[in-house]
Amino acid sequence: MPTQFPTTNPPLVCWNCHERTIGTHFCGSCGKVLQVPESTDYFSMFEMPRKLWIEMGVLEQKFLQLSWKLHPDNFVNSTEQERAISLKRSSELNDAYRTLRDPIARVEYLLAIEGTRKNGENKQSAPPELLEEVFELNESLNELREAKSSGGDAASLKRRLETAEKNFEGKLSEVDSELQTTAREWDKSVDSGDSAQGKTVMTKLNELLNRRSYIRNLVVNVQKELL
Amino acid sequence: MGRIVGIDLGTTNSLVAYMDAQTGRPKCIPGPSGSTLCPSVVSLDADGGVIVGEPARRRLLTQPERSIYSVKRLMGRGPADVQNELKLFPFRIDPASKNVIRIQLGDKLFTPPEISSFILRELKNWAEAYFGETVDRAVITVPAYFNDSQRQATKDAGKLAGLDVLRLVNEPTAAALAYGLHEKQRGKVAVYDLGGGTFDISVLKLISTVEGDIYQVLSTNGDTHLGGDDIDNLLQAFVHEQILQTDQIDFSPHGELAQELRQQMITVKHKLSESNSATLRFPLPNGKMFVHEFTRGELDALIRPVVDRTMAPVKQALMDAQLKPTEMDEVVLVGGTTRTPLIRRTVQEFFDRQPHTELNPDEVVALGAAAQANILDRGVQNMLLLDVTPLSLGIETYGGAVAKVIPRNSTIPASAQELYTTGVDNQTGIEIHVLQGERELAKDCRSLSRFTLRVPPAPAGLSRIEVKFLIDANGILQVAAKDVRTGEQNTIEVRPSYGLNDADIERMLEESIEYAEQDFAERQLIEARTEAESILMASVKALANPQTANLSASERAQVDNAVAALKDSVQGSDYKLIRRQIDELNRATEHLAELLMNSAVQSALEGKNLAEV
Repeated sequence: MPTQFPTTNPPLVCWNCHERTIGTHFCGSCGKVLQVPESTDYFSMFEMPRKLWIEMGVLEQKFLQLSWKLHPDNFVNSTEQERAISLKRSSELNDAYRTLRDPIARVEYLLAIEGTRKNGENKQSAPPELLEEVFELNESLNELREAKSSGGDAASLKRRLETAEKNFEGKLSEVDSELQTTAREWDKSVDSGDSAQGKTVMTKLNELLNRRSYIRNLVVNVQKELL
Repeated sequence: MGRIVGIDLGTTNSLVAYMDAQTGRPKCIPGPSGSTLCPSVVSLDADGGVIVGEPARRRLLTQPERSIYSVKRLMGRGPADVQNELKLFPFRIDPASKNVIRIQLGDKLFTPPEISSFILRELKNWAEAYFGETVDRAVITVPAYFNDSQRQATKDAGKLAGLDVLRLVNEPTAAALAYGLHEKQRGKVAVYDLGGGTFDISVLKLISTVEGDIYQVLSTNGDTHLGGDDIDNLLQAFVHEQILQTDQIDFSPHGELAQELRQQMITVKHKLSESNSATLRFPLPNGKMFVHEFTRGELDALIRPVVDRTMAPVKQALMDAQLKPTEMDEVVLVGGTTRTPLIRRTVQEFFDRQPHTELNPDEVVALGAAAQANILDRGVQNMLLLDVTPLSLGIETYGGAVAKVIPRNSTIPASAQELYTTGVDNQTGIEIHVLQGERELAKDCRSLSRFTLRVPPAPAGLSRIEVKFLIDANGILQVAAKDVRTGEQNTIEVRPSYGLNDADIERMLEESIEYAEQDFAERQLIEARTEAESILMASVKALANPQTANLSASERAQVDNAVAALKDSVQGSDYKLIRRQIDELNRATEHLAELLMNSAVQSALEGKNLAEV
């Protein structure tokens, strides 16, 4: 199983013919599949600006077109190096599509490449305005667990938790619509080239994501207890 | 380079198929008996020879301790995983087995990939006999829900059989491909695949683009230990219980008698797919006959638990694809077990549409594999498969929790990068544990491998190692590491938790020389001569029967000529000529065989009362 991935070539020089090339995926002079420089992000892979509003039909179409060309099925009879490049490129293509297709993953990714958020970051502190409700919810959860283990009456607790779950699901969709509004603000700041504004929006997006992930965890925990 | 084939390596039966250039359609290749199904049974004879397929299946009754079926259930699994199987299947596992199970056949030990390689080699032989050419490359199908170890074990089996495995393709995806070619289907398709030992459900989207058709898998789910075998186990247990009650006979579930009962019960099960009732007659060791008339209703009630178990994965797959049952455009049934009326009805009711069964459910997966083999052989021209990984890939974190790095149903190839650093000064190694599965704790997921990243001694937190996890188009994991500071690539020795390492495979390849193929033509000649001898012997016996008097003079002359011609051809070494003469003799003796049959039936009926018939 040990595998070495081919090292990345300096940008814009084809690994095969060593010509300078302007191709994004294939060499303009020899036609071989190209390595991409490590700085290439998911947006540029699809030749899209770093904006959060994406036309899903266009994204899918570009994904399918590139799949035709980059998929390892095309390279079964090629050299080992080309096979390795195809494997790497098509996995990156699939990773990129998976990320950009999902609106939340898309925002997370944008924040990561803009340097606002560390990869996989998840702040687990409760947003201050939710503290009271979260406290109540945790209490109900504990009571339910106790009732379950001691064989006590869980039915009324369950009803209380179901109401709480609905409440938090409502908050989740509030965060989602706020994310959408803020995403549009980001796109505007890209269009206007206002980098100061962009920074402010990034911070806001980051806060919203943390808030969202916190509430989502709560909902999932409640759902698990209610099963 | 030799020819390329598609192989369905099944729990109960295996098949080999190729793309017929003339019709542009895939076709299954028959074996020496004329059937395209090769029972996935392997038997070892006393002098160490390996017997595969139908002859091996017959030996399950006569030589159970030298024969094995359903070995697919053991692929890629460790001894601890299979304890439940051992209660139901007559597997004789070497108690000293460590990571890889070793199965005892007679006085020898084999790993599951070795046993599977015998089946693959047999199919390779079938194909070589059919083409008259070498076959050296194959696409092999696996259940979509197979994990990394099970896939790796299948690939190893291919290698041991002398095949270059160009791709492992998921069985339901292969079936969708075969149906797509056959019917030019479009839209969203659900494939319900219940085989001998595994269950898969896949949801696909068939897209027509300018370049051609794309088969994109949206989601998949299943159970790698659920299938017709489980139905047979239920039926067998039911009859054991009945016999225990009526005759106080409690026979061991693995003995010869149990095997015979199982075979008869399977026949009854098959009959019940066609008719509403079927009778089991089974001679007991106390001289009595056990008789039980099964109705379809009784069968349905007995097998209901198995059918119900398939529905949870079906619902999960639809949920993951974000589709409702009624949003599916087509539903396809695959696998011999889907012939069961209860299953057809359940699937039809759930999706509210008539499922497709036009293609033979036993053959459809092999046909799809042949189509994919053709794509790989000639390059993608107008068809592309985009498959997914069935299980999430995760890394163990603090406290035994799992951090998912590649979610299930990600299109493959897929990858993920993780950055690791040291926690204490001069730490020289970072332990990494890779897992597969949906559960939150490492102990509940499948361990794929553990390895140690070597780092140069440095103050804590200074070293930064980027590890890249990549699931390739076969659904198999590859790992590579890079020191971010130096840019140095690090080759990681990834030791699979359950499976053969490279040294094991090398050794087995050497050992397999004793089972190596004879020259292809030589083998054909031997087989043809053996068959010729048995048919000649039967003819001599038949010609001694008084019934020959009823043959016309010209019929008699034809038989005599055919016998003489076959005897002649056996002296030579042209196996094709021998085969032609065998066919010729078979045709010439058709009427004689009929006469003998009729007289045999008559004498069998004489002196017997009706109840005995």
